[in-house]
Amino acid sequence: MNLFSLKEAAKQALSQTEVNFVIGYTKGSYGFRVAPFFAQNEAEVEKLFFSPLCDLSLVNYLSLEKNTPLEKFGKSPEQKIGIFVRGCDSRAINQILSEKGIIREELIIIGIPCHGVIDIKKLEARFPGVLDQARAEEEDGKYTICFGDKSFAIKKEDILSDKCKHCAYPTPLIYDLLIDGKVEGKDDRYEDIKPQEEATLGEKEEFWKNEFSRCIRCYACRNACPLCYCENCILERLSPQWVKRSVNPTENVIYHLSRAFHLAGRCAGCGECERVCPVNLPLMLLNRKLEKDVKSLFNFTPGIDSEQKQFLTTYDLKDSEEFIL
Amino acid sequence: MEKFILPKEKLIDFLKALESYDLFAPVRKEEVTVFAQVNKIDGTTFDFKNQPLTPKGIMFPQTESLFTFDTKTYAMNDSAMTPKKQRVMFGLRPCDARSFLILDPVFKQDYPDPYYLEKRTATILIGINCSEPFTNCFCTSVGGSPASQEGLDLLFIELPNSYFVEVISPQGKTIVEEASSLLSSASPEEEKIKDEIVQAVKEKIKRNIETKHLPEKIEKIFENPIWKDLAFKCIGCGICTYTCPTCYCFDIQDEVLKGGGKRQRIWDSCMFKEYTLHASGHNPRPTRAERLRNRIYHKFKQNIDKYGVAGCVGCGRCISFCPVNEDLIENLMKIKKL
Repeated sequence: MNLFSLKEAAKQALSQTEVNFVIGYTKGSYGFRVAPFFAQNEAEVEKLFFSPLCDLSLVNYLSLEKNTPLEKFGKSPEQKIGIFVRGCDSRAINQILSEKGIIREELIIIGIPCHGVIDIKKLEARFPGVLDQARAEEEDGKYTICFGDKSFAIKKEDILSDKCKHCAYPTPLIYDLLIDGKVEGKDDRYEDIKPQEEATLGEKEEFWKNEFSRCIRCYACRNACPLCYCENCILERLSPQWVKRSVNPTENVIYHLSRAFHLAGRCAGCGECERVCPVNLPLMLLNRKLEKDVKSLFNFTPGIDSEQKQFLTTYDLKDSEEFIL
Repeated sequence: MEKFILPKEKLIDFLKALESYDLFAPVRKEEVTVFAQVNKIDGTTFDFKNQPLTPKGIMFPQTESLFTFDTKTYAMNDSAMTPKKQRVMFGLRPCDARSFLILDPVFKQDYPDPYYLEKRTATILIGINCSEPFTNCFCTSVGGSPASQEGLDLLFIELPNSYFVEVISPQGKTIVEEASSLLSSASPEEEKIKDEIVQAVKEKIKRNIETKHLPEKIEKIFENPIWKDLAFKCIGCGICTYTCPTCYCFDIQDEVLKGGGKRQRIWDSCMFKEYTLHASGHNPRPTRAERLRNRIYHKFKQNIDKYGVAGCVGCGRCISFCPVNEDLIENLMKIKKL
């Protein structure tokens, strides 16, 4: 990745007077961590970077201002925000645009063709206790990980994020400025959800009850999700209270299934929910299954076009209806 | 103070010798380690290393029914879980043990809270020293140590082939007496090895911050724009508060089903949007900045003013599990530099 062109793009975005700040990545406070960063001027652009360690999505920051405002920069309505997006993030943006959740003219999208990112949890499990700021580079199917005076070569597939293993859209689908050349997508055959699909109803019930029983309801999966941008979330409703606050297997199941249904045909596959989970819930299994079903039943893939109509708002005589009881 | 040696292979026998108690310990459950009641010692996988979830929930469960009610008969039943048996909590890290000393005055002073206190007084705490600190451990910066005895009745310190057992309280002594056949007295040489090990672990703790003058500093910067800077990347989830051993905010809600219901006490989080949201719609902490400020003020100013101790044991969980790298130590450093 050519960092110069990345920073140049951020500078170019900022040089447009109507751009308030650029949301990007900066090095984290320790080890392999990367932090979101909000660059407002050229000096701050120098702190931006991109590497395979950038495993987080920044798209939720576009709606965070609406839901839990901060108005740090005193952005006026006519000002724009610049944002770094990878392939999956661009799908999230497209999807939100198609739902009229954000306004295209308010964004300067800096697209980063993505070769896949590292699963930081896997990396930290391999190298526990690393405090020195680490670097990661990719070459010929291998990652070189450096921290302190040490350097390690690791096979790409060993630490690649699961969400990247089957990514069909690594190159941003919507952008104003594109860094580097396009990356070829993979043919996604949904191999990862096969065991779930082949399991019996009883086995699946057992599996998910078990998984959800350890959820601590911190709502990190919802808050990190770019598509969970409702101003009034069902979870905070008190009258009627659809989901009770009690943390128990029943309410946890209702919480996660409500979220899964609300994301059906909307999830862009960025994997944020799974990445942020402190108790490692395999939430992408649900999202992936829904994505596959919506694709096979309605021939709809969320986020590939900012103008496409939602599958639930359109009707076609050829629509599948075998699941209607 | 009495000191004993327990060979490592006898640990399971030691736990079995305590069968007259309800045993709570960190056990491996699929992907995570949780503090839970152990009903059968054989076949349970214990995990005495770092845990994402604290043992706080044993005394102060995330969800607790205070009572149930019946809308037909107007009957009310006290449903809070009063321990029937004495309990032993085994395998706490010293930082987590100290957290109970920080929680105690909260639930004891002003309004004694029977739900917490009944469980607390019925529980004997047996700690294991911290031998593998987290990347972000900083207990030594807030008055702790990887082999701190504070809050514990017994402390196990891991030696190469055995545990060095320190008796700290009369309750700890009772436990030792019940398992006396498994223990032998510790020799001065073993004590020397123990001291060396404890020192070596202390040196493994890499992160630190001088917290001495923080309260005076924090007091002066309530309106400072730094809170906006610090909070801008915060996504407002509850990870830092729910993995914190000393956060104790809770919400009380009536959960009504047909014909009756229950009054539930559930952990709350100052990071949530509806925390301190008034019925009028007004929220005195409307943005992420006020919420993040609240957490730092509470831990490093108000808790010290009211109870004489910071509301932080330096376990580092809020740093390690934050999905967007909100780093408490880094944030405190920035505050100190103001």
